[in-house]
Formats: sequence, structure tokens, C-alpha cells
Amino acid sequence: MNTDKTLKTKELLAIILLFIGVKMSDSTAAMFSQHAQNAYWLIIVVSLLVMLPPFFLLLYLLRKFKDKNLIELIEHLLGNFIGKFTGFTIFLLSFALMILDSRNYVEEIKLLYFPESPTASIFYIFIAVCFFGAKRGFETIGVTSWIILPFIKISMFFLGFLILGQITWYRIFPIFGNGLDVILTQGIKKASIFSEFIILTIAYTSFRNTKIFQRGSKIGFALVSFELVFFFLLYALIFDYNSIEKLAYPYHDITQFVNFGDFFTNVETFFMVFWLSAAYLRFIIYLYLIAMIFGYVFNVKEYETLLLPLGFITVTLGLLTENAVINELYLRETLLTISTPVFVLLPVLLWLTALIKGDLKRS
Amino acid sequence: MFPFVKKKDKQQSNYKPINKKLATNDKYIGQLFSAKINSDFAVREIVARYSEEKVAIYYYATIVNGDKLYKGIIRPLLENVGKDLKEVVTLESINEVNTFEDVVEHINSGKAIIFENGNDTAYSVDIAQFQERGIEKSENESIIKGPKEAFTESLNTNISLIRKRFHDKQLINETHKIGERSKMEVNMLYVGDLVNGEILKNVKDRIKNITADNVRNIEILEQHIEERPYSIVPSILYTERPDNAASYIEEGYIVLLMDNSPACLVVPITFWAFFHSPEDRYLRFLFGNFTRIIRFIAFFITVFVSSIYVGISTFHSQMIPPDLLLAITSARERVPFPLILEVLLMEVAFELIREAGIRIPNPLGPTIGIVGALILGQAAVEANVISPIIVLVVALSGLTSFAVVDVSMNYSIRISRFIFIFAAGWFGMFSLTGAFLLWMMYLASLKSFGVPFFSPLSPGYKSPGNNLFRKIVKKEIWRSGNVQPKDIKKKQTN
Repeated sequence: MNTDKTLKTKELLAIILLFIGVKMSDSTAAMFSQHAQNAYWLIIVVSLLVMLPPFFLLLYLLRKFKDKNLIELIEHLLGNFIGKFTGFTIFLLSFALMILDSRNYVEEIKLLYFPESPTASIFYIFIAVCFFGAKRGFETIGVTSWIILPFIKISMFFLGFLILGQITWYRIFPIFGNGLDVILTQGIKKASIFSEFIILTIAYTSFRNTKIFQRGSKIGFALVSFELVFFFLLYALIFDYNSIEKLAYPYHDITQFVNFGDFFTNVETFFMVFWLSAAYLRFIIYLYLIAMIFGYVFNVKEYETLLLPLGFITVTLGLLTENAVINELYLRETLLTISTPVFVLLPVLLWLTALIKGDLKRS
Repeated sequence: MFPFVKKKDKQQSNYKPINKKLATNDKYIGQLFSAKINSDFAVREIVARYSEEKVAIYYYATIVNGDKLYKGIIRPLLENVGKDLKEVVTLESINEVNTFEDVVEHINSGKAIIFENGNDTAYSVDIAQFQERGIEKSENESIIKGPKEAFTESLNTNISLIRKRFHDKQLINETHKIGERSKMEVNMLYVGDLVNGEILKNVKDRIKNITADNVRNIEILEQHIEERPYSIVPSILYTERPDNAASYIEEGYIVLLMDNSPACLVVPITFWAFFHSPEDRYLRFLFGNFTRIIRFIAFFITVFVSSIYVGISTFHSQMIPPDLLLAITSARERVPFPLILEVLLMEVAFELIREAGIRIPNPLGPTIGIVGALILGQAAVEANVISPIIVLVVALSGLTSFAVVDVSMNYSIRISRFIFIFAAGWFGMFSLTGAFLLWMMYLASLKSFGVPFFSPLSPGYKSPGNNLFRKIVKKEIWRSGNVQPKDIKKKQTN
């Protein structure tokens, strides 16, 4: 019985929706609203548009060179030395992004629900859960994502539905907020908030067949884009330009606004449970993919053994930042800007190499 | 010192051939069975009429049918004439036996062995009659609508109960012998042109690899063949309903039966099998799915109600509506214990009642109800040891746990409940969610004989769509694809 690769499109969709879709509930929104105020949702659109061509180019290349994942493809095209170097750069960047992002989530949990607990203990628990989860393997991650996904998404859209009564459509204006130039520069600079799409291609061969990845990732891209834009627009319509700038976690602010009728008035914990499972799963996936990248770059076949050291490094480095504000508004923002060219230009570079080498014609 | 040499010796003595002289054989058998002190080991020596030779019949008096012995063996031997012994003895099953190993095995399984002077072949005649219960109603998996018969401790009766429900020439009953000292039969029932070859081989290998002196029954066998003996979750279904077993056989699963167990094992299995009850299918579509929803809610409540109560009232009390919060607080006002201790106390108390309830002799049964209800329900509250709300919460979680039909799954759920209570007491919903997620992932990573635990929901396969809910019977086109049957189509569509 072939039980090695059983995952199908639905599991890939679940992975994408959790891995990237959870961005709508963290402080990404806050980072953008600093620059563009109520028009910050357009930055997402711009970023998506910037990321779209490289991502599809990469998918095209992966289709041409069958049964190779991201790192194998890079090494195949760029040769051993430059390939390894590029792979390692990608590992470093995505790992750093993950560290900053995980600190971000931990701060979010701490600030909202456990203000008196030390960050370190929450961080350790968080990463411990992610480690044990990731340790169970990619197939389990896919299965669990698919089983838990409906609950998470239903709760999120239920929240969106509950808040619909409080939105004012006119808050969409001025449509370009602080100006079109701000939106465009920010959107292009921060395109790497979607670097996950590039990272995800490391799992290109982990599904039942590669067609699943080709199809699933495109559907996933569309769904995630819709979801993110929908929620970011929703926040803008609820909070308007002045207050949106001051909010760190708009999703959680919304959960504090809504009621289930007159009796249940503080339901944020209800939403928090689903959000937490989504957050856990996001970092389980993140950790696993990063271990996979490292494993392929350095030819570590048993890359699941890397999860523990990588998880531990995440905690130790993540704790170095002094506070959430520096972490999010300075470090993460800078890192995103730095890593954007790498993630955007990598597929182009690969494509050009393949074109020059003539590999594309042969196959 | 030389284990292999020793083994060879043993084998040789086992395969000792039968001598032509009756006196030698008699002496040897007497030694083997300690005939002098073994009081129910019987020997009957007579002179057969057809050959005028001495004949000896060996059997255990307690496990054979005396009437059959007399009418089918002794009287024919004394009266009938014929060419050989097989012609003389009129009973339906008579086999030739050539070694003493077989002789011992046959006598142990309730057969009479006939030795003839001057013949180096013995004859084994099946006249076994083991004492057993009649077929009764299923007690642990009771249903309202549907067949009521349950398996009983007799293997043949059980197989007959299954064959009665599934008339297929490909329904195969394969027998394997296990145990070094006491040889017991394990019967595998499956449909030859449905079952997946690899799963079948896997199960066979596991049964063959058992090295135990004695495997008395299915319950012990389950622990011998399961993949994860330390796991919190069972990987084999144990059911006492023949209709349930037959429905699994029909889907391409394998059923294991043994003497001495009023139940069977079904392999491989998924989470859904533990969640379903056969009645879901006997009820009409809507009603069946309604019970499924109820059971799902019960499943959720029994696992989580105590831990959510601990988590929310300790860490997230802002979530509780003010009136309810006041009610909880005033109820807890005079209780000295921290909340988590209170919950644990009551949960343990409930488990104690439950355990005592199972072990208590029948005449004392009603006492436990009175003591349990009185002491825990009322006295403890009045003495301000626990708050009334805890009684409510624990009673709810205890009551709903009975909706989990399967015995093994019931234990998994109850143990998990304690894990979740501790998790909730640590960091509230944060650690509870983490614990739940890990629990879920552990379940998702399990495989029973190569079949993923949550399939066919995920990883997805063609299936009758019978997971959380079921479809209407007419729309069940496929068999469960996760067990990879040879013929996946259940219904011919046109």
C-alpha cells in the first residue's frame, strides 16, 4: 500500500489558507496602516500583484523540471556552489522572518490574554507546541490543517459577518489614503510578506503528484488574496483612517467589539481559540518548511531532527528583541524590505539561467 | 547452551510417529496426559467386531458429547462390520492422524482418538461439546432499531452468525494456530475478492509472529497484534455485534474471531469506526444523522467541558457574562480549594464511582447509586468541599462519556480529559488549544495497519461518505477507499 504521499489538493489548500491566511489577524495590518492609513488594504493588493509573476514563473519552472522542489531546482540550475549559497540565503531570510514573526505572535498572545506572564514562558510553550506538532510529519500537518480549517474559517467569517453592521462604506475614501506613491512604494517594498508562497514550493514534491501542487497553489493564491483583501478592507471600513493607525491587532480589536446577542458580550476568547489553533498551525508549517529547506541545502536527509534546534534558536533569537514595537515596526519592516528583492528576483534569475542554458527548449 | 540444538530435540519429540503396537502407544499417551492423575482423561478399550482387533479410544470426558461417543463410535465398533475403521464409524468427520503431536492437539480440542492394534494410523473423530452460553442480546452496544443478536463465546456459533448475514462464496474463513503450549485457533474472516492483499498479509504476519505460550482470547490477541501498545488510542475495533462485523467484512475489512470471546476484532480501523454505531445506518437518513450530531456534541462535551470550565473561569473570566460569573463566584465563595483541584477531585470521584460500579457484585448495585448521588451530589456541596457548579460540570462530562460506545475509545477519551484539564490549568486557553492541537495531530499521525486514522476524510479517498455524517443509502457508491479494496465499486450505477 502506498501511504507515503497521500495529500491532495484540499490539504494543500488548507495549508496555504492557514500558512498565509492567518496574516490577516496579526500585526501586518498595523505595519501597513502606519504608512497608508485607511488605504493600507491596497498595499496588500500591490504586494500580491508584485509577487504574482515571480510565483507563477517559479511554478512554470517547477513544471518544466519535474519532481524537483525549490532547492533542488536552484541547485540544478545554478550549479552546486552558487545554488547552495542561494539556498542558504533563502533559508536565512525566511528563518529570520519566521523568528521575528513568531515573536510577534507571542507578543500578541501575551498582550491580549496574559499580560502578567513573562514573554519567555509563552514563547517556550508556543514553540514547544509547534515543535511537537511539526515532529509528526508533513502528512499529519496536512491532515490536521484540513480537519481544523473549517472551524477556523467559519469562526473568522462569522466574525466578519457579525461586524458587518458596524461598517461605513464612505471610510474607503480617500481611496488612496496618503497617496498613490506611498501605496506603490510600500506595496513593492513589502512584497515579501508573501514570501511564503516561494517558501511553500519546497514542498512541491510532497503531495500525491505535482499536478496537485500546480493547481492547488493557484487556487490557494486566489483564495488567500481574497481573504486578506476582504479582511483588511473590513478593518479600514470599521476603524477609519485615524484609529487604524493606532491599532496593533485589528482582528482582536474586532473580536472585542462584537457580541452574540445581549447575553454573551465578551466573546473574544471564543475567537481566540480558533485564532490560536490557526497561529499554532501556521508556525508548525513554517518550522517544518524551514527545516526542509535547511535539510535540502545541506543534504540532511533526516531533516525532521532539525526541528528541535531550529525551534530552540527561534526562541533564543526571538527573545533578543526588546519589545513588540521594535520587533514589528523596525526589525520586521526592515527585514521585509531587504528580502523582497531576493524573493522576487529569484524566480526571474532561475528562469533566465534556464533560458540561457537552453534547458527549457529541451524539455 | 545451544538453543538451536534444543529446539531440534523438542521438535523431534513432538513429531513422534505412532507405533503399530497398541500397548506401546497406550503407555506413551498415558505419560503424555498423566492419565493416572488426570481424572477426566478417559480411555475406553474394546474389541472391534469388524477386525477382531483391540481398539482404544482416548478423549477428555468433560469436553465430548457422551451420547455421540456411544452412538457414533462405541456401538458401531462393537456391532458393525466393514472393510476398515472409516467405514465402521458413522460420524460425519473422521480424520487420519499420524503423529503424537496431532494426537495431543486433537484430544485437547475435544476429539476422540481411536487407536487400533496393528495399525500405525490413528483416527480422530470430532465429538466435541464445549459448554457455552446461548446467543443473547448485545449488552454493551445496545440499539433500539436493528438486530439484537450478539456474539457468544463459541467460535462456530460466531462464524455462523456472520455467515447468516453475508451470503458470499468468497467469504473466506482462514484459520491460524497460535500459542506454544496451548494451541488456539484464530479465525480470519474476509471476502477474498475484496480485501487488500497487503493488509491481509500484514495481519497474517502479525498473527504468525506471536510468540506466546497461550493466547486465550480476542482481548489478549488484540494486544499482541496492535502496532502501538503504549498509545492512548486503540487501533483495533472490538465489537460484540455480528451485524456490525458483517458490515465491515462487506466493506473489505478483516474480522478476527477466537473461541472464548463474545466479540470479534475488526482491522484495519479508523477514527470514524469508534465514533459510529451500527444503528446510525439502521435509522433513516435524517434520524441517523441526528444521532450522529448528538454523539459528536457528546464527544466534544465529554472531552472538553471540564477543561474549558477550568480554563475560562481561571484565566478568562471576562468572557463569562456578568450574571453567570456572579453565580459562579458566589457558589465558590466558601469552597477552600483552587478551582482546578476542585474539578480534579470530582472527576476522580466520578471515575471511582464508575470503576466501583463495574466491579460491584450485582446485589449491591443499587447501593453505589445511592452512595454516589448522596455523598457526591449533596453532602459534598453542603459541606462546602465543592461548589454545585462543579457537580453539574462533572456530571455532564461523565454522562456524555457514555455516548462513546467503544470500550477502548471510552478510556482514551477519559484519559485525554485529564490531560486537557491539566493543560487548561496551566495557561488557560493558550495551553489548552496547544494540547488539543497536539492531541489532534497525534491522532492524525496514527495508522492502523497502514490506514491513516482520519481517512477517508483526510487524506482523502473514494468512500461511501460515511464520516461525521452519512449519505442516503442509495448514494453510497464506493467502498471505503482507504482500506484499498480490490473492488471499490459498491453499487453499479447506470
